[in-house]
Amino acid sequence: MTESERAEVDQLMARLADGDRAVFTDVFHLLWPPIERLCRGLLKNDADAADAAQEALQKVFERAAAYDKSRPAMPWALAIAGWECRTLARKRTRRRETSDENQAEPGTVGDEERLVQRDLVEAALGALGHLPDADREALIATYWDTAAPVTGSTFRKRRERALDRLRSAFRRIYGID
Amino acid sequence: MASTDLPILLRRARWGYEKTRVRGALLGVMPIAAIVLLAACIADHPPLTITVGAAAAFLGAVFLWYGRAPQKAVLPGFTAGLVPLFLVVGVNHLHMCGPDGCTSLCMYACAIGGLAAGLGVSVVSYRRGAGPAFWLSASGIALLTGAIACAGVGYGGVAGLVLGFGAGALSTVAQRRIGRRAS
Repeated sequence: MTESERAEVDQLMARLADGDRAVFTDVFHLLWPPIERLCRGLLKNDADAADAAQEALQKVFERAAAYDKSRPAMPWALAIAGWECRTLARKRTRRRETSDENQAEPGTVGDEERLVQRDLVEAALGALGHLPDADREALIATYWDTAAPVTGSTFRKRRERALDRLRSAFRRIYGID
Repeated sequence: MASTDLPILLRRARWGYEKTRVRGALLGVMPIAAIVLLAACIADHPPLTITVGAAAAFLGAVFLWYGRAPQKAVLPGFTAGLVPLFLVVGVNHLHMCGPDGCTSLCMYACAIGGLAAGLGVSVVSYRRGAGPAFWLSASGIALLTGAIACAGVGYGGVAGLVLGFGAGALSTVAQRRIGRRAS
């Protein structure tokens, strides 16, 4: 996504937040492809990705009126999508775990800890939206512990650089010195 | 829901968007509803107060749901409308007595409150550089909020409110024009 496209999404999302319904379809068509791509990248399963992407898009529009115009729209939307993917992945895992009686119950994490974890994931995914595609792929591959298109030292270096950029994007977004 | 039917998804997204806006609008008019209930408790004609108040709350909800300039106009309009409302409530039991008998001060309170509301709405509109949609929406809300109390005074009260509001708005416009010419 180019800078001008990002600026266009920001502008249209701001108008939608203001109540300008004329831009609804445009925003929808601009957000759908990246959200769908992110969900495919995160979930590695077309059916689950479609489910999560649709749920995410619905939530993005439900929260559109509360969109903060000072923040970029695409990372915000992708953060919601990322969270939706994670929720769906957890649901699937939980279902598998409950079917297996010998497995330990996963709900040992306290509510507060879960909230903190959720905020961190949301923030990280928000920052993730700022990164170029190569960095994002490297981080997603790291996150899911799967093989990236490149292996060995090249991947490690790419991952390191991506993490550096992610850290700086995180600092920029939340004003951490 | 594995396959993606975009038109259906678009409709669902739109419905979700509108639903959230409606919920926000209903929450947003809660202060108006609270004022209406309070005013109804102390009003001489509660049904009239409730009717005008319901109209104010409904218009406010529609503006908040619609968004854009009307949405931004609800709060300034409501705040401006509180001036005549509180003035009338304040002078409700005061009377000006002379040799010909006593006169209620409510009508004057409506006119003076309307003048202040008209001035307030116009000043805010100018400061924000807002267009006529903002001014009209804010005026509508201000007049209806003021009328919650002034309607109880009778036609005279409402007329006083409207005239006062008009005078306030016109004086701001005139002042701005003169200021512009001078500079």
